Parts: sequence; C-alpha cells; structure tokens
Amino acid sequence: MNHGQQSGEAKHEDDAALTEFLASLMDYTPTIPDDLVEHYLAKSGFQCPDVRLIRLVAVATQKFVADVASDALQHCKARPAPVVKDKKQQKDKRLVLTMEDLSKALREYGVNVKHPEYFADSPSTGMEPATRDE
Amino acid sequence: MSLSERTHDGETKDPPPSSYEFTHAAAKSAVAQICETVGYNHFKDPPLESLTGFAIQYILQLGKIATSFANLNGRSQCNVFDIVLALEDLSGNDNNAEERGCSALRSVKLREIIEFVKVSDDGEEESPFLQTLPRFPVSDKRKKMMVVPSFVEVGEIPPGKHIPLWLPAFPDPHTYKETPMWIERGLDPRGDKIEQARQRRKAERALLSLQRKLVCRGDGDRVWGDMDVGGVKGEIREAESEVPEDEKRDGVSVVEAFAPALEAARDVVFSEDDAEWKQKKQKKKPVVLSKLRTEKKFLGEPLDLTLQMKGEDRSISLREEDRDDKRRRAEFILRQCMENPVDLNQL
Repeated sequence: MNHGQQSGEAKHEDDAALTEFLASLMDYTPTIPDDLVEHYLAKSGFQCPDVRLIRLVAVATQKFVADVASDALQHCKARPAPVVKDKKQQKDKRLVLTMEDLSKALREYGVNVKHPEYFADSPSTGMEPATRDE
Repeated sequence: MSLSERTHDGETKDPPPSSYEFTHAAAKSAVAQICETVGYNHFKDPPLESLTGFAIQYILQLGKIATSFANLNGRSQCNVFDIVLALEDLSGNDNNAEERGCSALRSVKLREIIEFVKVSDDGEEESPFLQTLPRFPVSDKRKKMMVVPSFVEVGEIPPGKHIPLWLPAFPDPHTYKETPMWIERGLDPRGDKIEQARQRRKAERALLSLQRKLVCRGDGDRVWGDMDVGGVKGEIREAESEVPEDEKRDGVSVVEAFAPALEAARDVVFSEDDAEWKQKKQKKKPVVLSKLRTEKKFLGEPLDLTLQMKGEDRSISLREEDRDDKRRRAEFILRQCMENPVDLNQL
C-alpha cells in the first residue's frame, strides 16, 4: 500500500511536470516548422489536432538531428588539423559536414551509410587474373 | 510503383507533380539550420541530403509507431503517451525494461528532450525556421476546377442521412433526367405549306413590280408602235405616262405589274371607241397610233382600261373592284366592236 501511495504521488508529480513541459513547449519554437512536421505525420497516419504534440515530435526530431550533427562535429574536430604554413592561419579549420564524419556518427545509431571509396565497372574489377577466370 | 506511369494508350506520362520535392527542400533547409546551431559553418551536399533523409524518416517512424500504439489501445487519435512510447521504441535502449512505470515521465528519452528544451530555452539558442512556408497542402486551383465540389462546398444537403457532407455532390437532375425545355407547337404541315406558298407569291409580286419599275425608268422616249403584242406594251406605257407624276413615283403602277402577263398572252382589239375614252380623259395624252385589227379576235382580258379613265383615283386597294369593272366594260366594248364592223362595212 505504501508503495502504491508513493507511486500515486509520484504519478501526480510526473503528470504535473508533464503538463508543465507541454505548456513550455508553446514558448519554444522548434527549428522544424509545424506545417512540415504535420505533413509528414499525416503521411504516416498520425492524427492529432493538438499542436503541442506536433511540437513535441518536432523537438524530438530536432534533438535527434542535433545529436547526430554534434557527434559528426566531434569527429571533425578530432581529426588532426592541417599543417599550418602561414603564421596568420589559425588552428580553427573550416568545419565542413562531410560524409565521413556523418557515417562515423551514424554508426553509433545503427545506421550504415558508408560511402564507397571508388566505383568499379564490374564486380570483378581489381581482382587477380586467376580468380577472374572462375 | 514506377515513377513514370503509363496511360491507357500506352504513352508514358510524366508523374503528377508531387509535394515531395518541396517538402524535401524545406526539410533540408531546416536540417541545415539545426546543424548551424550545433556549430557547422559549411556543408557538403551528399551528407546534408543523407541527414535530411534521416530526419524525415525519423518523423515518419515516430508517427507510424505512435499510431500503432494508439490503435492497440483502441483509439484513432494519438496522445502524448503514444508519442513517448514511440520514442522509447525508436531509441532502442534497454533501460526501463523492468522499472517502467505508468508515468511517461519515467521515460529516459522524454527527460532528455525536456533537458534539451530547457538548455535551448535558457541559452536562447532557439532558432525558429527562417523562411515562411505556405500552408500544406497547397491547392492547385487549376486542378480544383476539374474536381467535383463536395456537398459542403456546393451548399446542398445530401439526399439521405447516410451520405456524409464531404463527399462530392450529386450531379444536377437535368443531366440525367429528361426534362422538357421547349413548349411544343402543334405540327401543321398543310398550314405551313400554304403559308409558304403565300409568302412566295408575295415575293414574286414584289420582284415583278421592281422589274417593271426598272424597265419604265429605263425608257426615255416612248415609241408607239402598232397595236399588236408590242402595241399592247405601248398601250401600257402610254397609260403609264398618263399617270400623274407624283403617283408614278410613289408606288408601283398596276399597269406595269400586269403588263408582262398580258403581253405574253394576247392581243387586244380596240374599237373606235378609243376616241371616246380620250375625250373622257382629263389630261392631255400623246397621240395613240393604234390600229385596229379586226381580224384578230379578242382572246383574253383587256388592259386596265378603267385606269385610263380614272387617272387620279387609283389605289391598289381598289384594284380588285377596278378589274371587275374593267372586265364588264371590256365585254361591252367587245360587243360593240363586233357590231360596229358590220356597220362600218355597211358604211
């Protein structure tokens, strides 16, 4: 019973916090516009007239993209900086989102986006002549 | 499903313009903006495209899973708990497997999101989407013209409670029912033919009179010849010349109108009574050289002799009566003619 009471209280707290959070969502405008999110949600069958839920989804997506981008940024910064020839040139290199960084970052999320290093004409290109005959 | 659709006649048609390109471009710019807040200055296109694709897929997956959770609970509309459960599902974390409570706030993901919002809000890193987007979906007015409007748009009440208002409206009854449009007039073919014949006669009459008019006007001097068939014409012209000038100009002279008919048909025999007629005339006439051809018999109707006598009072309305008078007088004269030669010979 004690446990039940406690859980009941916790529940109330959680509910209050949730409602508070949802209210605060209205103040915060996510980067992804509501119309766009609504369009994609409608495509997948999500139907809800409440704007706060759409904002919640937008915020969740924003967080996801931000996480991936920040991971890629880490990889980008971790790479050794190019040799400084000019005295004026600072250590800050241009932060460019490249495929390499992105693939490394996404691997942690279970997504494999490895870019092929080169494109070959046929599957057996570059193989030894002995195996090619087979 | 191939992008290029084939129509019925086998021709390849361009796929209808979908909203994919527009939304993809909008999503790409939003993702680029997020990356900018993270710290990136420059982007290469392939990774940006990939990241945009991921973001879109994330939204789609969230919606799909949330909807399935709602449907599992027997609801069609999603609520916040469905979204939280979907978030948990997508994250793939093993935590909360045993400790998951009824409250959604126990979810790790949600807490992370709350943290994220708080950080963004506090740090004023909030960067709303910079461009304005039109309201989705953008309606193509051209296409909308071809689409049948719904009951609501037309303003009709559907006949039957089972038909919802948002369905296309029924076509108007005149498109599928035969409704009488014209007041049917009674068919009268005989009457129509009679009417037609009458109108034709009128037209012929008018044309004839016009011809005579032209002929008369064309004639300058009148040459009076023998009183044969040509003479008849001369007589006609003479009669015509007697007519007072104003009357001549006004209307069609009846003499002219009937001249060709008379000319074509017969000769006229005149008696010496010509002189009498001349005396009766009030106005001066040119001398008429008319020979009597007693051999030739009078075959048909004479000229409008009475017209010569009644020079002034001629009116078309009295034409019929005049004709009757003329006929009577002509017959009288004829009789006299028949008698006279006998007398002449005797003389």
